[in-house]
Amino acid sequence: MNSKRKYFHRSLIAVLALFAAFSLTSCNVAKHGALPGTLRINIGTEPPGLDWEIETDSTSFDVVSNLMTGLTQYTPELTCAPGCAKSWDVLDGGRRYVFHIRDDIYWTDGKKLTAKDFEYAWKRLLNPASGAQYAYFLYPIVNAFEYNSKKITDPNLVGIKALDDYTFEVKLTKPAAYFIYLTAFCPCCPSRQDVIEKWGKRWTDPEHIVTNGPFMLKHWQHEYKIELEANPKYFEGRPKLDKISMFMVPEQATAFALYENDELDFVDNRSFSTPDVERCKDSPEFHNVPLLRNNYIGFNVTKPPFTDARVRRAVSKAIDRNVFPLILRRKERPTSSWIPKPLVGYSPTTGEQFDPEGARKLLAEAGFPDGKGFPPITMLYPNRDDVKTVVEELQDQMQKNLGISIGLQNQEWKVYLQTLHRDPPPMFRANWGADYPDPETFANLFTSFNGNNTTEWKDKKYDALVEQAGTEQNPEKRRKLYEEADHYLCNDQCVIAPTYLATQNAMVKPWVHGLKFNALDIQFYKEVSIDP
Amino acid sequence: MLGLIIKRILLAIPVLWIVASITFMLVRIVPGGPFEGDKALPPEIVANLKAKYHLDKPVHEQYLLYMERLVHGDLGLSYKYIGRTVNDILADAFPVSLQLGGAGLLLAICIGVPLGTIAAVRRGSGADFAAMFLSTAGISVPSFVIGALLIFTFGIWLKILPVALWESPRHMILPALTLAVSPAAYLARLTRASVLEILEKDWVRTARSKGLSTDKTVVKHVLRNALVPIATVLGPLTAILVTGSFVVEFMYAIPGMGRFFITAVGNRDYDLIMGTTLVFAVLLIVSNTIVDIVYVILDPRMQVT
Repeated sequence: MNSKRKYFHRSLIAVLALFAAFSLTSCNVAKHGALPGTLRINIGTEPPGLDWEIETDSTSFDVVSNLMTGLTQYTPELTCAPGCAKSWDVLDGGRRYVFHIRDDIYWTDGKKLTAKDFEYAWKRLLNPASGAQYAYFLYPIVNAFEYNSKKITDPNLVGIKALDDYTFEVKLTKPAAYFIYLTAFCPCCPSRQDVIEKWGKRWTDPEHIVTNGPFMLKHWQHEYKIELEANPKYFEGRPKLDKISMFMVPEQATAFALYENDELDFVDNRSFSTPDVERCKDSPEFHNVPLLRNNYIGFNVTKPPFTDARVRRAVSKAIDRNVFPLILRRKERPTSSWIPKPLVGYSPTTGEQFDPEGARKLLAEAGFPDGKGFPPITMLYPNRDDVKTVVEELQDQMQKNLGISIGLQNQEWKVYLQTLHRDPPPMFRANWGADYPDPETFANLFTSFNGNNTTEWKDKKYDALVEQAGTEQNPEKRRKLYEEADHYLCNDQCVIAPTYLATQNAMVKPWVHGLKFNALDIQFYKEVSIDP
Repeated sequence: MLGLIIKRILLAIPVLWIVASITFMLVRIVPGGPFEGDKALPPEIVANLKAKYHLDKPVHEQYLLYMERLVHGDLGLSYKYIGRTVNDILADAFPVSLQLGGAGLLLAICIGVPLGTIAAVRRGSGADFAAMFLSTAGISVPSFVIGALLIFTFGIWLKILPVALWESPRHMILPALTLAVSPAAYLARLTRASVLEILEKDWVRTARSKGLSTDKTVVKHVLRNALVPIATVLGPLTAILVTGSFVVEFMYAIPGMGRFFITAVGNRDYDLIMGTTLVFAVLLIVSNTIVDIVYVILDPRMQVT
């Protein structure tokens, strides 16, 4: 975040919080102000676009998730329920999926949805000319990588095929237990070749776009507001809401003032500053949900002194993770394991537990008794207030528990990312959010072939464990494999020191019913109703 | 007059070319690129993206391509807002900023100039003290504090004006006022100094001794002559106000173009950075040309050609 913007942001929150503190002893509880049939929310910023095969950001997906339904769809518990596909067969030991598509689904322009719409969409996602960032999600499919990286040019060689109007077949290079989750993912929703070809870049304009989900795009005033309207022909029945107004209020303090003035019905982290969370945490309208977003301290294992696993373990052991919810004040969940609760493979005993004495012993074994002779180390972090709080706390804990002093270096977001990917420093703070609710999205990150592994750690044993777990079809064996991999990553090798899971903090007006939160932080509104 | 305008248009071309070239180089020197994200992309995907936006070509080729498009009025594609051109984005956002900035400018002039004049005419009085106190406060207090005060007072406490959003003319009142406070304060101080200087002139004393009333002297003669320095600052002030304010737009959730001056840089949205910079440069040139014309009207002795 730009420093000017950050300064302004911080100051505005401080000023409004001060007013709030003077004027209100507790959080305002709403009594009136509902707009019947309309849900008013804040999505914070302009979605970079609504072309679901091209987009990658959560704001776009918040809109698309309510406009489109894929082959499958997430339940609030994050299992995959039938969507456009009424059922599917997993064949050839998990190498082939055949989806049976419902024959009663219509696009908003009245045309019937067929398997060809999926074939077109998935091939468009892989087409190098589309420049789609999430194309790599389909790399487990036969010839998908080759086509996307221009090694082959014939899309018909890719293992994606509409066998007839209502049967869609996908062939994988190897079994992938997490594959089914990708079918619920926004970039894998179907799309219409005729519409995209007719309107080109403008096909997502409200007057051109055709969708198949519970809501339709009615109006889009850029940088200001998106309006969705109920789709009366939605194949699961018309949603209860008539309309959703999605405002783009970038400033948390302003959005929260709108909520308190009953001009918004629901606000989440995007509109909820920490002072407001503190003020409202006892309100009946308050909700707090842990997310599948893990924060960690990474070590570059090729740079001393972190070439020695004992030093890495000492640092991880010296971290008192219970402090984070106290200093960050958003009910963060401390964690020492990389695979978070409640995913398969999570174990509360994985990861180094807080043990300053054990930590000092390990450090002494590594040749730094009481931190003596420890080389000067700088920890890199992105320029953000909450991250600064975390790294300053860590700096203090390292001094107190290990007797080592760590320097801090912050960089602007994009500069930080570039440093991390080009020449990772010995120690850095980073985080990772799940793309789908499966341990693969976490475990895969530290394999030697993952471009996001900035620890420079390449370990054949870990790679093999993750590979095996990813293809294993037996759930129990799979759980054990991930557990073993996570223990190897966080204890034996201690390549990272996981710290805490981020949370979603939200306020929901009492007249909003049926709103459910999930750990992936995707919001679905088809079950929501307004009852003033 | 026509000569002046033609000369300014001809001069504007090399100025804009220099601005575009410097900005083009600067945005590419800044570390971090448009496709740097928290989730690093496979090199194949990055190659596809770079090819799509011609970023795989050598910088001099990119420059020539950009200049060629620019000559045709095409400001390029946004890397962040996929499928939208910079022309589209600015065409949506600029009218909003123009409306808000115009209202803010008008308010600033209507408040600042009379306040400064009263302070000068009644120099040393309570009115002068009050006016200068207000203008010092207006300059010193940052706009996000003024905005927060206004939102709290009129939106949350009295509930007579909307807290934020851009739905009706009523929604314009608080942001326009927030935008106007600082320039109004500046104009008030400038007007006071300028009017005081003119009031000392011999011809003012002559006018008064000939029996012309104070009001008439001030409004018809003093103010007209005092307006020259004010007109000078109004040029850049207009350009600043009508291209939008990041703080005010963010605070009141207004879909103007002020936000892009900051967010485009954060996103490394190269063409959008270029677009906002060029629009600002054009507006600055236009408003300075208008100021030069106004000089001639205010003081015919100034022969600008």
